[in-house]
Amino acid sequence: MRKKKILQEAVFYLAVVLISMVVLFPFLWMLSSSLKTQTDIIAWPPTFVFTPTLQNYHKVFGEQDFLKYFINSTVVGGLAVGLSLVLGLPAAYSISRFTQKKLALFILLARLMPGISFLMPWYIIFSRLGLMDTYIALVLSHMLIALPIVVWIMSSYFDSIPVELEESAMVDGATRQYAFWAIILPMSGPGIITSVTLSFIFSWNNFMFSQVLSMEKTRTLPIAVYNFVSYAEVDWGGVMAAAVAIMAPAIILTMVFQKFVVKGLTMGAVKG
Amino acid sequence: MREPSFVERHLRVLFPLPAILFIALLMIFPILYTLALSFTSWNLTSGAPLRFVGLRNFEQVLTEPRFLDAVLRTFGFTIFAVLIEAVLGTAIALILNRAFIGKGLAKLLLLLPLVATPVAVGIVFNLFYDPTIGLANYVLSTFGLPQGLWVSDATSVIPSLIIVDVWQWTPMITLIVLAGLAGLSEEPFEAARVDGATQWQVLRHVTIPMVMPTILTAVILRLIDALKTFDIIFAMTGGGPGYASETLNIMGFKYSFEYFRMGQASVILIALFFFVLLCSLGIMKLRSSAEN
Amino acid sequence: MKKMLASTVVLMSSLGLSTGAWAQGKEIRVLLANHPYGELLKTAIPEFEKQSGIKVNFESLQEGQLTTKLTTEFATKSSSVDVFMTRPLQEGKMFNKNGWYEPLKSYDFSDYPKPVMSVAAAGSTPYLVPLVTEWQVLYYRKDLLQAAGLAVPKTLVELEGAAKKLNTDGVAGFASRGKGAAAVTQLSSYIYGYGGLYLDKGVAVFDQPAAIDALRYYGKILGNYGPKGVTSMSWENIMPLFQAGKVAMWTDASVFYGQIVDPAKTQIPAANVGIADLPAGPKAQSPFLVTSWGIAVANQSKNKEAALKFLDWASSKELATKGMLASITMARSSVWKDPKVLEAVNPGLVATSIFAAKNGNAFDRPYMSAVGEARDQIGELIIESINTKGESANLAAMAKDKAARVNALLKDAGEYGQP
Repeated sequence: MRKKKILQEAVFYLAVVLISMVVLFPFLWMLSSSLKTQTDIIAWPPTFVFTPTLQNYHKVFGEQDFLKYFINSTVVGGLAVGLSLVLGLPAAYSISRFTQKKLALFILLARLMPGISFLMPWYIIFSRLGLMDTYIALVLSHMLIALPIVVWIMSSYFDSIPVELEESAMVDGATRQYAFWAIILPMSGPGIITSVTLSFIFSWNNFMFSQVLSMEKTRTLPIAVYNFVSYAEVDWGGVMAAAVAIMAPAIILTMVFQKFVVKGLTMGAVKG
Repeated sequence: MREPSFVERHLRVLFPLPAILFIALLMIFPILYTLALSFTSWNLTSGAPLRFVGLRNFEQVLTEPRFLDAVLRTFGFTIFAVLIEAVLGTAIALILNRAFIGKGLAKLLLLLPLVATPVAVGIVFNLFYDPTIGLANYVLSTFGLPQGLWVSDATSVIPSLIIVDVWQWTPMITLIVLAGLAGLSEEPFEAARVDGATQWQVLRHVTIPMVMPTILTAVILRLIDALKTFDIIFAMTGGGPGYASETLNIMGFKYSFEYFRMGQASVILIALFFFVLLCSLGIMKLRSSAEN
Repeated sequence: MKKMLASTVVLMSSLGLSTGAWAQGKEIRVLLANHPYGELLKTAIPEFEKQSGIKVNFESLQEGQLTTKLTTEFATKSSSVDVFMTRPLQEGKMFNKNGWYEPLKSYDFSDYPKPVMSVAAAGSTPYLVPLVTEWQVLYYRKDLLQAAGLAVPKTLVELEGAAKKLNTDGVAGFASRGKGAAAVTQLSSYIYGYGGLYLDKGVAVFDQPAAIDALRYYGKILGNYGPKGVTSMSWENIMPLFQAGKVAMWTDASVFYGQIVDPAKTQIPAANVGIADLPAGPKAQSPFLVTSWGIAVANQSKNKEAALKFLDWASSKELATKGMLASITMARSSVWKDPKVLEAVNPGLVATSIFAAKNGNAFDRPYMSAVGEARDQIGELIIESINTKGESANLAAMAKDKAARVNALLKDAGEYGQP
């Protein structure tokens, strides 16, 4: 009986390790390839033991202007998330307190609909307005990613805050908007962290909008990584270093705010 | 109590108004614009003025074999990818649903694929799949199996892309199901144990039925996203070889931004929009029925 | 719809978001390509600014993005571009038809060879200045050919024989682009060798026996002796294979020579890399020789005087010489006779250039407005042929269908039957 138990445990932990390995392996391979020379990468059979080199990172950050793309991505993501909070927090509050289900669905639609069906018209309109390759066009498009996330997460967060709090303030003579500003928002830290982290990561990873609306000046990281492959000769080491560079911030954010990210990603489904 | 001000009386409209206007301007207006364009001959390369052509674009695109193939491919990719993700994801969640050493770490690892930049993921997998230097073929060869062409061949490209999607999104199902399992009440399990049910019976007749609504919602969310898959396909194959991995999204992109046939592109975009809308209505229906 | 759009425009511009008024007075906006010559211009621009007093705002873009940007800016009449680098074969026809190029009435074109000029002028007035030319060549590994006791192939039959002999487990006997649309330019010279064409007087003729034979040959040699996964390979995938010593022979454009003999990028000694004329087909030996890049002034430019000044400078003989010394193959004929240049440039490159100038074809793709779409259609034929190693029973029927589609595109654009 005891023996069987130990065996069961061993099988269980083996499964856990196996699952973790499958999940982790592409990251490890990417990291190790980014430290290899081109010769080591194209060697056959593949090399597992090699002398690591940082030359690919030097190339990516030295010759390729990646720092500029890094800043572009940060600015676009930061502004899009910030403005989405400005628009999204009051909307989410209203949805929560006045149970506006239809409105919630309307905003959720922006999360569900395929981006390309607005992208083509944007492209034409932004071109006419001379807004192509400007932060304005990019931030507006990325807000359409961030806003639904903010509204969705925050409306259910506000649901969890007892309505008596602002009611007692209102009895004391405060206006509702003041109660929202002075009482509800200061209590919403965890919800805001969740929505900011998630919407920033989604903006950071966005490829399609930036591919069409950005060019030389406002190019974001995913486009830079993609271009790296498509017209430099395939310099795998450099590409892998670029891939590490683009994933690192999102992964670090995730590690720091792990609990919030899990909550944000899973709550929509669990709640239903 | 004081008289509520104008702002206060109309708070339910004023608070969400900026967000509503924003979405109307950036989403609803463009969709209507696309709809209008689909009835015109507009083609950027021809320089000819925009003409109303009635249903001609619909007629041309809907009878085009390339379009029909893309529709089937889009659904094939979506259904297989999501089915595998649902089964694997649920299975992994059921395995991990207990206390064990390193559970926090395991959950963190599961998060990583979800936040990894899809374009970069695609490129990493391209290195795996490279027929000449890729690890995938090396692994096959060490087991004495014949080597594959992966994304370089029309017959294997879709399964190869499905593998990438499964790697990236199975953890999402796992995490959602884990959260769902954590929220289940203990009573039915105790009742089953008292009745002397085996572990397998508990799983089949208690656990799975109870988390089924969660699984279903997760699956529908995934279905909608999988229908729209763009980044990994665009980065890995660009829809090739030939058109072998061209989904509706990729085809719409090509018609818009490579061929500049805005009229016909609009028809493709509307088709994709329509399919996604159908699935979305499904999710809303399911939600409201779950709530009642 | 229009009204709604107009009100959006008003709204946006009243918010001060419009960037319409760029270039006023002595200031021009220039779009360059991410191409070695574009890089060269970039570094030389400060010098131009100093001597002319004109301020140059330049951007450099990847070629596909450059076409997209120019097309949308011109088509939506929102452009402030004054001078731009342009690909005559990819976008020339469409840009010219839409009146987006400024006619160049006073430019001195006497230094440019005739075939090169054929894509720079429609009828009489040229509208772009050719900058860079490229032609198709055969790259080969001298050491591998020698070890196998083979001479450099002179005909396509010999090429196939050599590919068969050189093909081993680790080394592909032969490579050329197989990735659908990207392969269309490389297939062109093979079609010419078999006596065929893509378009003849504005009508698609690539479904005729000569072109089909060429397609079958291309499919057979790549399907049997090409690298694994060749149907998803363009030059950027093949070049690293060649540099890693995994390809024995490779046909592609002449521009890659510099990179495959560059010791920093290649693992095979430069002494082992050979360059030769594209082997002769049964009917002809006619590699493409195309103007891959030119430079033009935008018709809607408001600073034409300054723009023309920049154009003169950017296409000058001095810069062309600099280009040659940086191993960019320039379109001007005089720089090819400059002894200083000849000393620096590889003799094999010079020899193949002379051969191509004499026997070459000035087009490497169907010359039409909807060229991108036409390339996708022809690309399907190439993939079908490679996948079946040239044996496809459907090829002729497929080609007929594709030719009909390309003809429909020509008709749509009003170019059908036009020479």
